[in-house]
Amino acid sequence: MNLKSLISVILILKLSLLNTGLSERAKDQMYEHFDGRMSCFRRLNGTHQIGCSSKKGGSTGIIHFVETEDNLNFIIKNGADTNYIPIIPMQLLTQKTMHLLKNANIFSGLILYKDNETLEHFTHERTCPNKLSNMKNTCDVAWNPNGTGLLYEDLPFPIYYLNNNEDLQKMRDCFETFNNYSYETHKARSLCLVELDAFMFATIDTPTCIRRSNLKTNLNPVKFCDPLGGENVWATLFPLEKKQMNYVVVAARLDTTSLFHGVFPGAVSPITGIVTLLTVADYLKRMVGDDENYEKNVLFALFNGESYDYIGSQRMVYDMSRGDFPVKYEADAKNPVPTIDLTDISLFVELSHLSKSGEIFLHSLDKSNTFYDVLKKHSFTKITEVVGRLPPASAQTFIKAQPNISAVVLGNYQDEYTNQFYNSINDNASNIDYYYYNATEIPLDSIQHFTANIAEMLAKSLYVEISGKDYKGDEKVRLDLVDELYNCYLLDADCKVHQAVQRKKLRESPYNSYSLYVGVTVVPNLLTYAIGLTLAWLTGTVTSNSTCVNEPASPMYQYFNMSKSLDNLNTTVCYRSIMNFTEAISPAFLIDDYDWKSGKYSSWSESTWKDFNVRMFLRPSPAHERFTLAIGSITMVMSIIIVYFIKSRSDVLFSTVETCSPTSC
Amino acid sequence: MDLTKMANDRKLYLCRRYFQAGFALLPFLWAVNSIWFFNEGFRKPEYEEQKQIRRYVIYSGIGTLIWAVLLLSWVITFQVNRASWGEFADNISFIIPVGMP
Repeated sequence: MNLKSLISVILILKLSLLNTGLSERAKDQMYEHFDGRMSCFRRLNGTHQIGCSSKKGGSTGIIHFVETEDNLNFIIKNGADTNYIPIIPMQLLTQKTMHLLKNANIFSGLILYKDNETLEHFTHERTCPNKLSNMKNTCDVAWNPNGTGLLYEDLPFPIYYLNNNEDLQKMRDCFETFNNYSYETHKARSLCLVELDAFMFATIDTPTCIRRSNLKTNLNPVKFCDPLGGENVWATLFPLEKKQMNYVVVAARLDTTSLFHGVFPGAVSPITGIVTLLTVADYLKRMVGDDENYEKNVLFALFNGESYDYIGSQRMVYDMSRGDFPVKYEADAKNPVPTIDLTDISLFVELSHLSKSGEIFLHSLDKSNTFYDVLKKHSFTKITEVVGRLPPASAQTFIKAQPNISAVVLGNYQDEYTNQFYNSINDNASNIDYYYYNATEIPLDSIQHFTANIAEMLAKSLYVEISGKDYKGDEKVRLDLVDELYNCYLLDADCKVHQAVQRKKLRESPYNSYSLYVGVTVVPNLLTYAIGLTLAWLTGTVTSNSTCVNEPASPMYQYFNMSKSLDNLNTTVCYRSIMNFTEAISPAFLIDDYDWKSGKYSSWSESTWKDFNVRMFLRPSPAHERFTLAIGSITMVMSIIIVYFIKSRSDVLFSTVETCSPTSC
Repeated sequence: MDLTKMANDRKLYLCRRYFQAGFALLPFLWAVNSIWFFNEGFRKPEYEEQKQIRRYVIYSGIGTLIWAVLLLSWVITFQVNRASWGEFADNISFIIPVGMP
């Protein structure tokens, strides 16, 4: 037993003796617990580990409250102890600060809080997201110019995000009362400490942790890491009855990321893209009605895990190139599903960041694209064509596999993101200026109107693309649907749309487990299912199938009982949909002898951990600690001596009957 | 077993058997033998079998020492190089510590 634990045991014993009248345990009296879920954690790829881990059992440090950079410099200069955990405001989390903290060697952790200052930017993605998986010239441009890249660094200590003002005040009070004076005596007095426990099991890289998780000789089998991944969502506008050679793909990404576990708002990316795609799907479905005689089909695809080297799109391309998409083709099956191959894609339209902006940009590789002219004709605002390179997007994966696919990426940026909070905890509803209007009048300058306009432009252009003529009908894009969808993903997951599409089972699961982070493959992502069902609802056809089961079984269709409309949630009708999910696990985890160093496919995995814990406590002064230890030691030595003497003089102390054998007594 | 109550030839027999059994890769048996019979071999007043017992005690002691050096150097080599040996080290491990390279 080391010194520290000995001291704590003695302290606990003493405290429990003193407080026998109280029911609270000594342990609970010593520690102030916080919700530790918003911790930074570790991820691994084929060659590196990134993120944070605490020491085993937690990293402790003296609280130092920081408001400006000067406070931080002060403690580096005057800190007498060797373990400090500064609590810094968000805007200070920069490469410069990180460099300072790493080199000072007196820090054992970091806590982040949000103060009242308006953030200009906060993004810890790289300046060129998915740098290693893009086409060659993509990263000549700093798409995310303020990106610090901290998300991809192996950080030397745990980081915790404190988003609760009450908890922040507690830590601050403790700091002011015990720590914030006479810094030169820090070594000699009682101080307020915090312990961050976020111990990560996996180290080195993905191949190592996968190998260690699968070892047969291991006496104590531990899972070290899980592959990142989830499910892609796709649907087609028309049924896949016969092999169609001409597809227009409308794609968007489904996931975001951030430094902290459990905070993945993703408003600009991916939510604006998802909502636009769903609105287009809804509008296009109503435009074509029941008529199925069109030259081209539309494939709506939402890719998961795109933040981590295009997991979802890489997998779909992998499946398509093997003829396995949507399912493995079996000609002798009763209802074979025709495959969609890479060569069947004539146009690939990707929806990137689409938050409010005065101008929108259509990125494409070469000028031969006619889709720009169609879009321009239907445009509501200035639309500019940017030729030469694509921004980081799922389209990159498709073009790398099939260079002659004509791909365009629609976004509100030309060569740098207008979103200053890309892949961060601050890409939230206020970042896209969203308010929920709940069926009341929506102002014209709202994000809802902007998204509806984009969706209308896109849907009408896609209609031209698949039918060869302009839309003459009188269906309108649904503004209320846009409002409701944003509400679902940004504010309230128990929203009207989710109530409309979800069968009982899914709705019973807790809504706070909804997350736009791709997560690991072993844990189902409930939001992916909800979005998939929403797409099924919007592109499905109402059928008169009274039982609403897939009978006779056809792998092409799924049948769902869903609400009739947003205004009529309680009346359900049966929808026949062509929506389905496909696995979004990187091919790297499927190929047996995959070369992890090749960088061909995404190799991201997430370390496992036992628990996230954050607690605050008061450490006694070293003199006090020594005193306690001395008392304990003296007590122990004395008791040994006393017991020895009592034993050796036992005949004097205890009267014994002499000459008494055990049998006769 | 109480050595004090044992006949001298019996002691010798036991000591010899322990020594022989130690060759079956049982260094701890040698260690036990060298400690257990130390008093018999070196500190008891002389008797007929003592010389032989003393010899077995010394041989067992040397065996123990060689084993100890070998094991210790292996343990140190393995612990120092575990991380850099990578897959090979993992394959010969029964317990892999979490959160370590």
